[in-house]
Amino acid sequence: MAKSKVDKDQGVIGIFRHLDTVCNAIEKVRERGDFAGYDVLSPTSYHEIEHACGFGASPVRLFTLIGALTGTCTGFGLALLTDWDWSIVVGGKTPGIYSLPAYVVIGFECTILFGAISTILGILVMGRMPNPKRRVLDPRTTDDRFAIFVPGATKDGPQGQFLRECGAEEVRNT
Amino acid sequence: MTIFAVICAAVFPLIHMGRMWLGAYWALPLPNTNNLWINFRSPLVWDVFAISTYFTTSLLFWYIGLVPDLASIRDRVTGIKRLVYGFMSFGWRGTARQWWHYETGYGFLAALATPLVLSVHSVVSWDFAMSLQPGWHTVIFPPYFVAGAILSGCAMVYNLLLPVRQMFRLEKFILPEHLDACLRLTLLTSTIVFYAYSIEFFVAWYSGNPYEWAIFAKRAHGPYAFYFWVMMFCNCIFPMAFWSKKVRSSIPLSFFICILINVGMWFERYNIIVSSLVEDFLPSSWGHFEPGLWEIVITFGSFGLFGTFYFIFVKFFPIISLSEIKLIMPKPLSGKATGGHHHG
Repeated sequence: MAKSKVDKDQGVIGIFRHLDTVCNAIEKVRERGDFAGYDVLSPTSYHEIEHACGFGASPVRLFTLIGALTGTCTGFGLALLTDWDWSIVVGGKTPGIYSLPAYVVIGFECTILFGAISTILGILVMGRMPNPKRRVLDPRTTDDRFAIFVPGATKDGPQGQFLRECGAEEVRNT
Repeated sequence: MTIFAVICAAVFPLIHMGRMWLGAYWALPLPNTNNLWINFRSPLVWDVFAISTYFTTSLLFWYIGLVPDLASIRDRVTGIKRLVYGFMSFGWRGTARQWWHYETGYGFLAALATPLVLSVHSVVSWDFAMSLQPGWHTVIFPPYFVAGAILSGCAMVYNLLLPVRQMFRLEKFILPEHLDACLRLTLLTSTIVFYAYSIEFFVAWYSGNPYEWAIFAKRAHGPYAFYFWVMMFCNCIFPMAFWSKKVRSSIPLSFFICILINVGMWFERYNIIVSSLVEDFLPSSWGHFEPGLWEIVITFGSFGLFGTFYFIFVKFFPIISLSEIKLIMPKPLSGKATGGHHHG
């Protein structure tokens, strides 16, 4: 096979006006086998669409957990290891493990900091962003319309036909 | 607001350090030439950690909230603007998967940012309370600072929101009940601050510590009495007018009281810092402080810096979250019976 660049954005898109229509369509699409790699586009986050797509718990929560725990270890570790490297006795107070209550602040702040940064990384990585090579399929999907996009299909093919049957107000090739 | 205010606040320690390029070297956990590390038991180091975390987390939370809206703008402009907004929105497409991860992550960020509000003001208050200085060394400082921050925050939100609401004709989005809720929270935190001021005096007297009591007595009728009473009236007495629904629903009057609260909160900081510092345990270092021309100019300069950031934001970014407004609007349903599908 000759190397050819596959345009991930080439396919058929069905524009929907109503939330319930698109949810019904998603449920039907999921039962079919010829909609591989389909995407649903929506102007905001409706839980109805999440349910229709059958999403469970997002893996972003693992990013948050791992990030936050790393932060806790880093915060306490930083304070304790610098103590271990060269102790500073201030006001006769013993450094090291005995000063742990004072290090709670550092541990807490690093927990939040690392947790927040890894949550953002989670959103970006799991949402496949940034993605400069993808183009905007239909500007209406960031306004008030829903869409189902099927890569590699055409509007006259069975997928395009099916989207029309499901109530798409417009079906076109991208 | 948080982000712009923190940027303005960050300017001050840098000015204070004199050689600001050394600021990073002194504040961050780097060993100095004698191999000494910074002291992690010092509240000043806690403050560096607390404020940098607060700034970073607020910035991330704010920016990620903007991403879908920036994508919305990207799809509605052309040319170089489209390129810039496209770059800033990370190529957001609004797929169901993106929304799903985004919603989860946004929820976690909100949960992470909430305790930060308490921690950052508590840690700032420890800068004072962990010292032995009379007037500062009190355990009520953390809740008192948190309440004070919410008080001035609400008043500031009211002062910034109203002109924007009027100028951008957002009356249909920012409803009278939102303004009322803001004023109720202002009233609540004003009563907490009032309680904190009173309890500070009570504890100073009841502790039997003559140095503590001397500072407090001097605050009320010493050379800084003017600052003290402005603070008392602006933060505790005038906001009591918000008990009346009539006052709360009068926009000009509420706006004026909120300005007074902002003035009062500024005087509070002045009162805390100056009155305790001018007379410490060393009588030889006693003195008197009045702000000079440069102090006043730098303070007003920080207002200008804040205003610049704020206006840039208002000009180029959505001031109300578009994607969240879409969520509270009636759902776009077809109205047809859909075979008993009820989600959410």
